[in-house]
This record gives sequence, C-alpha cells and structure tokens, in this order.
Amino acid sequence: MRPVVKASLHYLALAIVSILWLIPVYAMIVNGFKSNLEVLSSPVLSPPTSLSLTAYITVFNALAKPLVNSLIVVIPTSFISAFLGAMGAYFFYTLSYSFSKLSSVISDVLFSLIALATFIPYQATLIPLTRLIVSMGILDTYIGIIFAMLIFYIPTGALLMSMFVSVIPRSLIEAAKVDGTGDLKIFMKIVFPLSMPGFISTLIFIIIQSWNNFFIPLILVTTPNMRLVSVAVQSYTGGYGTLYNDTFAAAMLASVIPLAIFIFLGRYFIRGLIALGGGGKGV
Amino acid sequence: MKKGTIILVIPTAIFSAVLLYLVIWNAVISFTNWSLLNPKISFVGLQTYFSVVRTFQFSNSILHSLELSASLVAIGNILGILFAGLLYFLSSNKARSVFLSIIIYPLAISMAVNALIWLWLFNINIGIDWLLVRIGLPQFPWLSSTSTMFPSLILVSIWAYTGIAALFYLAGFMNIDKSVIEAARLDGASAFKILYKLLIPNSFNSFIIATALLFLFSFRIFSLPYILSGGPTNIFLQTAVVYMYYLFTVEFFSQATAVATIITVIASVIIIPYALIIIRRWIRK
Repeated sequence: MRPVVKASLHYLALAIVSILWLIPVYAMIVNGFKSNLEVLSSPVLSPPTSLSLTAYITVFNALAKPLVNSLIVVIPTSFISAFLGAMGAYFFYTLSYSFSKLSSVISDVLFSLIALATFIPYQATLIPLTRLIVSMGILDTYIGIIFAMLIFYIPTGALLMSMFVSVIPRSLIEAAKVDGTGDLKIFMKIVFPLSMPGFISTLIFIIIQSWNNFFIPLILVTTPNMRLVSVAVQSYTGGYGTLYNDTFAAAMLASVIPLAIFIFLGRYFIRGLIALGGGGKGV
Repeated sequence: MKKGTIILVIPTAIFSAVLLYLVIWNAVISFTNWSLLNPKISFVGLQTYFSVVRTFQFSNSILHSLELSASLVAIGNILGILFAGLLYFLSSNKARSVFLSIIIYPLAISMAVNALIWLWLFNINIGIDWLLVRIGLPQFPWLSSTSTMFPSLILVSIWAYTGIAALFYLAGFMNIDKSVIEAARLDGASAFKILYKLLIPNSFNSFIIATALLFLFSFRIFSLPYILSGGPTNIFLQTAVVYMYYLFTVEFFSQATAVATIITVIASVIIIPYALIIIRRWIRK
C-alpha cells in the first residue's frame, strides 16, 4: 500500500471512531437549542432549524439552585480531599524508606484501606452510611453530603497523591531531615510545593468525580431544595409530556462545568486517571 | 516515629476507619434478621444469606453485574488495544491528544447525564433508529424489547469506559523502547505487525490495569440502569447494586446488607491484590 493511502485509511478509522464517540455530546449540544414546536417533529440527530433559548430558560430556573448546591458541596470536598490526601500520601512515602516490619505492615493495611475506599462500589455502604449521617444529625445538610463524600474522596486523594509524591527525589527530603526539620514542616515547605502538578491533577479528578456523584446525594438529600444537580436532572428523563429539548438543556447545564474543566485542563484529569492505574511516571 | 509524622496520616486514617466501620457494620447486620417487619434485631447466622441467595432477583441481578463486567472487560480491552494502536501510530502529538480526549470525554460527564442522553438516542422513532431507517437499515428495538435492553446498557458502558483501557494501553505502548520499534519499521514490518508482535506482547501491565479498572468501574454502575429503567425495579436492567438499593427501599435491611457484603467481598478480591501488587510497585520503585 502506498503511504498516502495508508495515512488516509488511518485517519478515516480515527474519524469514524470519533464520530461515533461524539454522537451523544453532539445531540446534547444541538437539541437544547430547539424550540418546543420543533421538538415535536424533528429527530434527535438533526440540527435545529433556528436557535431557541426557551429550553435553557425553563431548565435554568429549575436547576439554578441545584447548581449552586453542587458548587457548595464540590469545592470544599475536592480541596479538603486533595490536601489531606496529599498529607497521607507523604506519610506513605516516609514509611516506604523505613525497613521495620511493623511500618511495612501498617503501610500495607492502610494502603489496602484507601484502595478499598477508592474502588469499592460505594452503594454497598448505603445503610450504615445513612444511619451514621442520621445519627450525627446532618442528614439533608451540606455538611452531611460533604462528610459522606470525604469518606471516599480523602482516600482517593491519598491514593492518587501517593503516585505523585513518590517521584520527589529522596535526597531533598533527607537533606531537610539532617537539618532537623519535622515531617509536617517538610510536607508544607518541600513536598506540597513540589507536587503541585500532581495536586492539581488529584484536585481536578476529585472535582469531576464528586460533581458527577449520583448516589450519595440521592440517599442523603430528602428535600428538593437541597438537591444537587446530578440528581436534579433525573426529573428530565423521557416519558410522556417531556419535551426532549428540556432534557438536553438540563444535561448540558449539569455537564458544562466538568466538560469545561475537561476541555481546558484535560491533561490533569488524564494524569489523575493514569495515577489510578499506578503509573504516575513516564506517561 | 515522631508526632509530626503521625499527624500527617490522621485525617486519611480516620476517614478510612469510618469506611471500614461501615463495611464491618454491614457484615454484622447481614447476620441478623432486621427488616421493616422485624424491627427487633436478633442474630440468625447465615439464614439471611441462604434466603437471599435463593431468590430469583438475586441471581438475576448478580448475573447481570457479572455479565456487564465480563462484556466490558472483554470488549473494552479489545477496543482499547485497537484505539491505542490507532493513536500510537499518529505522528503528531497534538492529533494524538485530541483523539485521546474524544475517547475519554464520556468519563468527565456524569453517568446520570449520559443515561438521560442515551434514553433519547435509544428512542425508536426519533433516536438513532431514525438514521438507521433513513439509510435503509432495520429499526433496532434498544430499550423497548426485553432481549435488547441489557445489551443496550452494555453498549453505553462500553462507550463510557473504553477510554480508560485505550489510555492505559497507549501509556504502555509509549513506554516501550522506541529504538526497537524503529528497527522493526526499517525491516519493513507493517504497523499491524508491530502492534501484534511488539506492542501487545509487551503490554501485560496495561492489560492488568485496564482489566481491573474496567471490572471495578462496571461493577459499581448504578445511575445508568437506574435512570434507563426509571427506578430500581426493572428486573431486566437490575444489577447487584441496584437490587441492593431496591431491598433498602422496601426496608428489607438485613437482606440489603447481605447483598452489600457479597458485593464488597467480590470487589475486595480484586481491589486489595491490585492495590498491593500493581499500584504499590510503582511507589516503591
């Protein structure tokens, strides 16, 4: 085969995959702009004949409060998880160069636990989690949702940050140790600033995960006023009487923040994903 | 160990301990007979497990979960390798990162939103079928037939999660020594042969990571079946986590905790070796 033919076949294959993968986001973008009248006659895959903002206006009124609620929950959750997780990660780092049997057992047990918290089907903790939140008197509050999310996302933060902290050269930390600096101070002055790109990756990964978390707000919110956007969109599932421009406008409003982050800071998100697989280096 | 060092780990340790407490609490309650009808708790040993495991809904939902995970692991790995191969042989880094983003973006959107979008795409009159009919293909029943309902759900999860596999295979391919690939290319080996003879055999680590992550992510998919079927009761789309949530809503608490414990055990069998062997290896290096 001639190289030109080969290259065009290569790009053709990529184009087909891309088109298939982009169909849902294409549908989400174009259909939110259809008018109520056009929705009745036009299929989901055809573009709108004229741009209408009716659907966005209707849906925005309903979703404004859930969007604010989501921000109130996600911002503290992600910052706290990434920062406290980073501290935990540096603890693992200090343990990994101690050769005592005890510290390696502690580190294995703790590491298994944070991995369990990161990957567990968290729905499985539904009943005890609800009971815990109820007994703390924080059901249906921001604090309650944040607390529940921290149970899963602080360990996630520690797991991801372990990858990013592990590339810091040991000599830097040993030098500070010789000067008699404590580990807490070493963390604040050396480890945290040096692992900033990793911290941003972890932060962004947790922002996207917690923003999109459906189950925790589903079970811990009991009044409509406290609903987060990931759950609020549920009322736009199809069915009789639903106009699909509303569904797609709601989908767009619920995704615009994570999608914008993905478009502008996607490489950090991807680095976070890679850390989830244990390959923080060389990629 | 100094006090300052211990303080570092306290927050992580406390929240991990809370998680452990939740998991153990589940396991303890699963040995009781607690439910709405039975508010007085007493220990009944394994009786709850025996009664729950025998129900049709349990075997149905756990089979759905395993079927979903097995399909996603198999198809995700195959597509992941193909997509990673397509991306690897691109000469431009820019094009590579654009295409990679296109495959990965579904992960940035909530599964609940994905489910909303696919609900309309699966509409047999105005969804994808409209296009299929226009180009002369038969209508596909998607969610409106019980036999194609679950495959439709698998399709959405493949669309959502294949990016992870592609990412790890691509990362694995990129780590392989460039000079070996160049040498093969100078010998006239085709891209397909390089993929088959050099890249795939050297990507065992990527295979393990992609498999573990695809399994773990698919095993906890909740909002997709929940929204596609409009609640937790549709037995054709019920996965193990959805069934457990259903048991909770009807207040069969001990049965729900028994199912939750089974789910946790199945996940842990993968999670703990994966964490200690695969992830730790990178940190210790």
